[in-house]
Parts: sequence; C-alpha cells; structure tokens
Amino acid sequence: MAFNLLKQSANTVIRNAVVPSSTSVTRGLFTGAVQLAKEDKGLEQVYTKKESLLLDTNNVIGKTSNTSVQNYIEVDNKVDLSSVTGVPEEHVKTRLVKISKATKNVMQSGTDNTHNWVMEFDNRERWENPLMGWTSTGDPLSNMKIEFAERTDAINFCEKNGWKWYLEAENKTRPIRSKSYANNFSWNKRTRTSTK
Amino acid sequence: MFRTTLQRTVPCIRLVVAPGQFRLNSNAPAPPSKLEVFIDDKKVLVDPGTTVLQAAALAGVEIPRFCYHERLAVAGNCRMCLVEVERSPKPVAACAMPVMNGWKIKTNSELTRKAREGVMEFLLMNHPLDCPICDQGGECDLQDQSMAFGSDRSRFVDIDYSGKRAVEDKDIGPLVKTIMTRCIHCTRCIRFASEVAGVDDLGTTGRGSDMQVGTYIEKMFLSELSGNVIDLCPVGALTSKPYSFSARPWETRKTDSVDVLDALGSNIVVSTRAGDVMRILPRLNEDINEEWLSDKSRFSYDGLKRQRLITPLVKDNKGNLVPVEWEDALVATSRALINANGNIVGVSGGLSDAESMIALKDLLNRLGSEQLYTEEPFPMTGSGTDFRSSYILNSSISGLEQADLVLLIGTNPRYEAPLLNTRIRKSYVHNDLEIALLGPKVDLSYDYEYLGESPAILKDLAEKRHAFYAKLSKAKRPVIILGAQQFEREDGAILLAQAQQLSQELNKNADKGWKILNVLQQVAGQVAALDLGYKPYNNLPAAKVLYLLGADNESLTKCKPAGTTVIYQGHHGDAGAAIADIVLPGAAYTEKQATYVNTEGRAQQTLMAVQPPGMARSDWKIIRAISEFVGVKLPYDTLNEVRDRLTDVCPSMTRYGDLEPANYLVQASDLAKDLSSQTVSTPLNVKQITLEDFYMTDSISRSSPTMAKCIQAVRKQKESKYYESRA
Amino acid sequence: MNNIFPFNKFITGFNIIKANGGPLNAFKKLFRHDELKIGTLVGTDEMGNRYYENNTYFYGRNRWVEYNDQVYLDYDASQITAEWYGWIHYKTDLLPYNDPNRPKYKWMAKHTENETGTERQYVPYSTMPPKIQAWVPPNKN
Repeated sequence: MAFNLLKQSANTVIRNAVVPSSTSVTRGLFTGAVQLAKEDKGLEQVYTKKESLLLDTNNVIGKTSNTSVQNYIEVDNKVDLSSVTGVPEEHVKTRLVKISKATKNVMQSGTDNTHNWVMEFDNRERWENPLMGWTSTGDPLSNMKIEFAERTDAINFCEKNGWKWYLEAENKTRPIRSKSYANNFSWNKRTRTSTK
Repeated sequence: MFRTTLQRTVPCIRLVVAPGQFRLNSNAPAPPSKLEVFIDDKKVLVDPGTTVLQAAALAGVEIPRFCYHERLAVAGNCRMCLVEVERSPKPVAACAMPVMNGWKIKTNSELTRKAREGVMEFLLMNHPLDCPICDQGGECDLQDQSMAFGSDRSRFVDIDYSGKRAVEDKDIGPLVKTIMTRCIHCTRCIRFASEVAGVDDLGTTGRGSDMQVGTYIEKMFLSELSGNVIDLCPVGALTSKPYSFSARPWETRKTDSVDVLDALGSNIVVSTRAGDVMRILPRLNEDINEEWLSDKSRFSYDGLKRQRLITPLVKDNKGNLVPVEWEDALVATSRALINANGNIVGVSGGLSDAESMIALKDLLNRLGSEQLYTEEPFPMTGSGTDFRSSYILNSSISGLEQADLVLLIGTNPRYEAPLLNTRIRKSYVHNDLEIALLGPKVDLSYDYEYLGESPAILKDLAEKRHAFYAKLSKAKRPVIILGAQQFEREDGAILLAQAQQLSQELNKNADKGWKILNVLQQVAGQVAALDLGYKPYNNLPAAKVLYLLGADNESLTKCKPAGTTVIYQGHHGDAGAAIADIVLPGAAYTEKQATYVNTEGRAQQTLMAVQPPGMARSDWKIIRAISEFVGVKLPYDTLNEVRDRLTDVCPSMTRYGDLEPANYLVQASDLAKDLSSQTVSTPLNVKQITLEDFYMTDSISRSSPTMAKCIQAVRKQKESKYYESRA
Repeated sequence: MNNIFPFNKFITGFNIIKANGGPLNAFKKLFRHDELKIGTLVGTDEMGNRYYENNTYFYGRNRWVEYNDQVYLDYDASQITAEWYGWIHYKTDLLPYNDPNRPKYKWMAKHTENETGTERQYVPYSTMPPKIQAWVPPNKN
C-alpha cells in the first residue's frame, strides 16, 4: 500500500516539476500525498485554513486504479514476527492459543457477539493476595482476547506471532424447525399445550 | 340479512369439504417450494410456514423478543416482536405469524419502533427498578432491550395511587430462587417445564395484572432440569439460588469446558472469579446438550470446594494418613511399585481423563503389569470390548431425533443421562416417537409402552415371540438403548447378546446404514478407558499394589484386600481415599486440560478454569513424576506430547468435537450368538429410580452441599399431601 | 624527618592498639567493626552499646558506637536506642543524660531492634476464609 502511494505521489511530483501549474505552490512545503490530493480534488481552500487535509482514502490506499493489485509485494516465505514483536520468548514458545467461534450466552437472547472467531490463550496460574484476597497473575497475555472476522485471519495471526494454536470446530447449527402457533392447539398432536 | 349470513357461511362449508377435493385434483398447482419475502427491502427465500421472526433471522435481522425461544413453542404473549408489514393495518407479532409470499416486512420502521417502545413501557411499568441488586443485572434481556428499544424517559407517575405491581415470591426448591415481582409473564419457564422437562409443575393463575406464574400450591419444581429455567428467564424473576449475590457476569472469567458428571459430555462454560468456580452454565452444542444442562452438572460445582485432597497423604506407623511433601509421597509410591515386582493392578475411575489413563497404562506396562481395569463392568464374553461399536451409543444423541421407535432396556435415561432423555422427549413431542421400556417402571416424563421388568422378555423379543416384536420389526429407524449398569449383573453378557441379536433381526427391515444397538454408559471416563485398552472391571485379581486412579466404586472399596498397598490418586476424599495407604492429590475436571470421550464416542476436552487447589497437580503429571522416581521415565513432558501418544494409541481421541462412528455390530453379534439362547430370570433393576437418586452419583456431587439440599427437598416434597407419584 | 619516617603515625597506631586493650583485643575489634579508633567513652545505653566521641576525627566520623559484645557480628543500626539516636545522628550535641527536655514515662516501651530477617519477624497472614475445604482422613488410632 505504502509502495503504491509512494509511486503515485512520485508521479505527481514529477508531473508538477515538468508542467508547472499556477495553482500548485501557494504555501510552504507540501508532501507528495498532499500535492496529489490537491491536484485531484482541487482542495485549494483547505490549505488556507491551516488544517490537516481530509484525504480521499482511495487515493491514499490506492484501491481505485487497476494498478492496486500488481503493486502488492508478495512475500514467499513464512513470516515470523516473533523475533521482533518484543513478546518474551517464554510467551511465544510455551503458549497455546485456542481459536473458536463464540457461542451464544444462554442467559441472553442476543446473538451479537457470536459472529466472530476469538483467539484466547491458555489459562495460567493465578494466586491469591494473602492480605486482601485479590487475585494476581504473572501472565501478561491472560486478558488478551482478539476477535477476527474469519478463522484464517486468526490462524495467520497466530502463525505470524509464532504461537501454537488449535481450532475448535464450529458448532454446526441445524436447519430451523418450522414453528407454528397453531401447534399449541392442535387436537391430535403432542405439541398441544397442557399447561397455560 | 339472510343473504349476508349465507355469504359468510358458504366459504366455511367449502373449507370443510375442500381438503378431500384438493387431494383428488392432481391438476392443482403445487404450492411454491419457497416463498419470497422482503425484510427491510432485502429479499429472502423461505420455506412455507416460516415465521416472520425466522425469516428475519435468515436475513441477519434480529427481532427483539421476550417470550419467543427457539427451542420452545410459540407463545406470542410478550408482543415485543411486533413488526410492520406493508399493507397490514396493524403491526404483526413476528414470532407467531407465518410469512406470506411477497410480504414486505419492515423491522426498523417508525411504526415498528413505536410499537416496541410502547410494549417496553408497559413492561417496565410493573417491573421493579432493582437492577443494582438483581442477579440478572448485566445479562438481562429486559435491561438490554430497554436500552436499545425503550423510551428514554418514563411516564410512570402513578407511585402515589396504586404503585407498581408486587407479587409474593414462590418457593420452588433449593436451586431456583424466585423474585416474582420481576416477572414479565413471558411463560418461557412454563413452556420449558411442560415441553422439555415434561413436568407440568409451573403454570399461571389469575388474569391481567393479577396474573402470577407459579405452582398454584407451594411445591418444589420436581425436575432434574430445573436449572434451565434460570437461563430461560429473560428477567431476574428466576435466578440461581446457590449463585445468588455472589458475582456479576462481567467480572467473571469464562472458560469453555466439558461436563463429566454424566456420560454425555455436555458442553459447559465455567465462570470463575479469583480462582473460584462461581457457576456453571451450559454452552450451546446442537449435537449433545443443545442449550440445556442437568441440575447435577450445573449446581454440583460447590462439591469441587469440599472434601478435596490438597496434600499428598501417606500412612504413618499408627495407620493414620498424614500430610507429607510431594517428594516423600512419590518416594513411598515408587518404593511400593518397585517392591510389587510387576504385581500391580490399576483401576481407573469414572471421572478419569484420557491423558492420565494413558500415562498410567504406560507406567504399569513398563513395570511389567498388564492388569489395567476400569471401574465399570462390561461383559468380556464374545467379542468383549474389541469392537468399539459394542460399547458406545452408536446412533448418536442427535440421531435420536430421526428415530421412530426407541426401546429402553434396563435404563432410566431421565436420571442417568437427562439430556438424552430430553432428546427422546423432543422426538416424542414433535415426531410422534414411540417408546417402550423394559425394566423397572419409572417416570420418564413421557408416555411409553411398558413391556415388563423380566429379562426373559428380551429373549422373547430376540426370538420374535413377543407381541411387541411386530411393532419393532415395522420400525424403519428403531433404536435400542441398553443401560450399561445391567453389565454389573452376572448375566449381563447374555442381555447384551440378546440385544445384539434383536438389533440384527431389526436391521433387516430398517433403513440402510441405520445403527440400532446403543449402550448408554454411566460415567464420563468409560469409553476413553475402553478405547485405550483398559479391561472392564468384572472381578479383581489379588495384587501387591492396587493403584486407584479416581476409582471410588463401592464394590472395589468395600473391603480392603489384606497385604495390598493401595495408592489412590484423585481429587476427592471419598471411598477410595479412605482405604488408601498413599493418597496423591489430583485435579478435578475444572482444573485441568484433559480429554474425555462421551458415550457416543465423541472426544472433547476440558480446559483449565482454575488452579488445582493446594499441592494438587494435573493427573498425568503426577504419573509422569512417579515414572521418573521408579526409573522408567515416560517419554512425554508436555501435554502435547501426551496427546501425541494418545493419537498413536487411538487416533480419534484427539479429534476434538468429531463423532467417531464405529460399525462392527454384525461381527459382535455373531461372536456372541451362543450366549443369546440362554435364559435370564432375575428382574431388571436400575439404580436411579426417583429424583432423589439422581443428585449424588459421584465423588464431586456426593460432596456438594447443594445436592444434599436437593435430596432433602425432594424427600420433603414427597411427604407433602399434594405429592402424587407418576411412575 | 617525619616526612621520611612517619614516627607520629606509628605512635598513634601504638596508642590506638593500647587503648583498645592490646594487640589481640584490637584485632578482635577490628574484625568485628572493620575499624579501630581511639576516643572517649561518653556513655552506655540500656542495650549495652558503648558510645564514643573523639573530635580529632573530622565531623561525621567523630561519634561512633561499639555494639554490645554479646551480639558479636549480628549488630544492626536499629540496636541504637531512641535516646542515643539523636546524638549519634548529629541531631543534637547534648548527650542524652545531659538533655533536660527528655521526659521519662512509665508507659514508654523498651527499645527493640528491627526484627526483620530474624525468627521474630512479622509475616503477613491471609485474612481470607479458605476457599477449599480439605478432606480430613478418618483417624483410626
């Protein structure tokens, strides 16, 4: 992405250098990206307001043009970030991550939190503070619970960070049973309600 | 006048005649297989008969509800699910209204929002404002939905004149606490009791604002599933008595785990706070427990805090067990094991996990002993435990929903496996399943055909002589469930052989691939033990060292064999620890990451929710430590390595969540053929006949004060003059 | 002459050894305190510590304490009693027995040294009720 942005801004700078436009340099020093936005959108009045610019995300990310795909840098070998993340070695090598899809809380009827894949670390030792009875833990990852839209994202994240993981299979939901209010009163079925 | 009456009557007459005519008329257009409806302008194709609420769920729109529950009948009385349907004069109740072709449903229109707000206002008018002291606070549907759909101000000013409705609390037993003023009359609890639990104890009395949910006369809610009404209650009217005022849902840590107090392996969530199990909730698993949980699994967690083994104990020269350090205990253990010179017997108990069992097996094998047994018996005649299909529940728990006839032999699934019973009852209610029972007459919460308690009937059935055989043989998907406790009988092998023979006979007419014979195990550890090559315990050979891995079986611990050193490894001080010479404290199922295989052969794992108390340790680690002291070091240091070893022995054991089917029913039946001709006469009996037998069956539930209270309450209820037995 | 051969330093050393009771005792004292000094004994406290002063040493080293011989090497600054604390820390130049503003009451506790690290040290204990009830094996006798 950054590469794409750089390339586009470089193009603009070059173009400006070759064809000097009357509107281009009005104040101070512009970064390439700002220059680009100005060129495309004509945001001249924004400059005079001395505010940071609202850039069109498409320009920054570079999603619009058909050049976006070919500008990604493909990395062939497996990425292992564990040596640079700063996570202590103990918490990379000895931890086990569980990736699972959250199930509905049976106490509630809402289902909003059940659509994500959650990664959680194994539970480590906790102890009780002898004076106050508070619980302590030496585990910096005990509260780390990350949600992902897809399980592959979660798996990739664990792979990148060098954690061992396992996937808990998704609970298969059954096809919905057809429900009918009339069943409560059907005279020849066992679904007839006995109690009101 | 007459004309209008006639006009009104004529369509009715037509309707009465109509069905027959329609059937005859083959040219009539077939009903469309899918209906097209629009939820917020989004097109959804649904089956005919789908309700508006279900159609909206398919479109990803969740309609608020209080009374509607996926697994219960439609009640349609809370009105929270009102939605606008285009060209309909009034908002419709989404939970009860089937969709029509082309309907445009608006779930977020002005009218819908206003309808919800109005319903919320009526509900809140008579709902107390005691959220800060309510146990449901934080996981309350009324709280959530009033935030999302309610009005931002109250018009309730009537505090001086009539005030809010107040209802007296009911006493429905030691598990469910009632604060009836909070009740919003959704009737979920009533529907659960009558549909799922099959106990018509709850109901409503009165009308309008005088309506009350209760038992009419004060009585206990006599059900083994009563805890589920706590989950179902959308407000704080029904809350958990043991958990009351002890924790808030947002301050607990939730660990997904598996229940081991019966053989079903229900999925649970263990809520912990400060190293303490606060409560246990069911976790949704469609294949096992749906979203229910039996009372024993839900409420016996306080047994995990009592009668625990927290230090190693070794007998001193006076014969008293005294606490020692781990090192001393391990030295004593290894000395005993070495001195036994290979004459060691290992017995695993019903709560043992697969990891510790494989470790114990490897250890004893290395010490030259092959004598490893499980606590529960199983006939070794014929094919014995060679075929996995002989000892598991082959048709699977969810498979019971497809069955059309169930024959229960020598079992009371209502108390041995309550959630298996709810499956049978579900099929009984919705699929018109027929059930027959061979064994003592018990209340199964549904009607069944009683065949008798003589085991000779089974022989008659197998030899096609019994009258019921005609019905059985017609069934396309029959299921035979044989209670594993019948194997404790001396003639258990004959019963199994006859059941095998019967199932082979029925197989001829049954659907292809349908498995008929099922064995319902009693304990969580049995299938894993048999999978790993433990032999069933039928009679124990004398040995110099008896290593009990959580085995508390009565017949085993009744009399201590003289001259035998007994080593007990487990988590509770029960019968096994009482006869032991060396006690090694292990971890209970909430305290270790361990593998259990349920009665249908599905491997699942528990996760560690809290630390083992005191000096107690994970069971496989203890055995691994012993192996080092004895000098035959086991080749695994981490849990993953133990599981690799498990995978070597039994590959299905580490495929968590998957059902591992087995099908050697024909071969097993052939090998046991000569047995089936024998006659058995002692009447069949089961251990758990009434509700009070259900609560205490293992070392955890035996040490639970809540379970003790339940037994007391049931006994008290039985003395009541209003009590009537249904068995 | 002194520059070539420091007689006076020898004499001082000789005097110090003499004042400390001969070579053997001086060696013992040096072993205990890592220091050998000469000074006036200005007082002794109730713990048996002896306090010295010699103003020929420079400020900061001119007052010192020799701990009670009985504690041997287990001496600790907290063994200095409260009344001598001020003098030895230069809070006051008045010796405790010369100070008129030192009331003595019956209820004043006897001085104790810091007990950390000894057998009598304070160890915090849990005030929480135990969460787990252990199994008590049946006693047979």
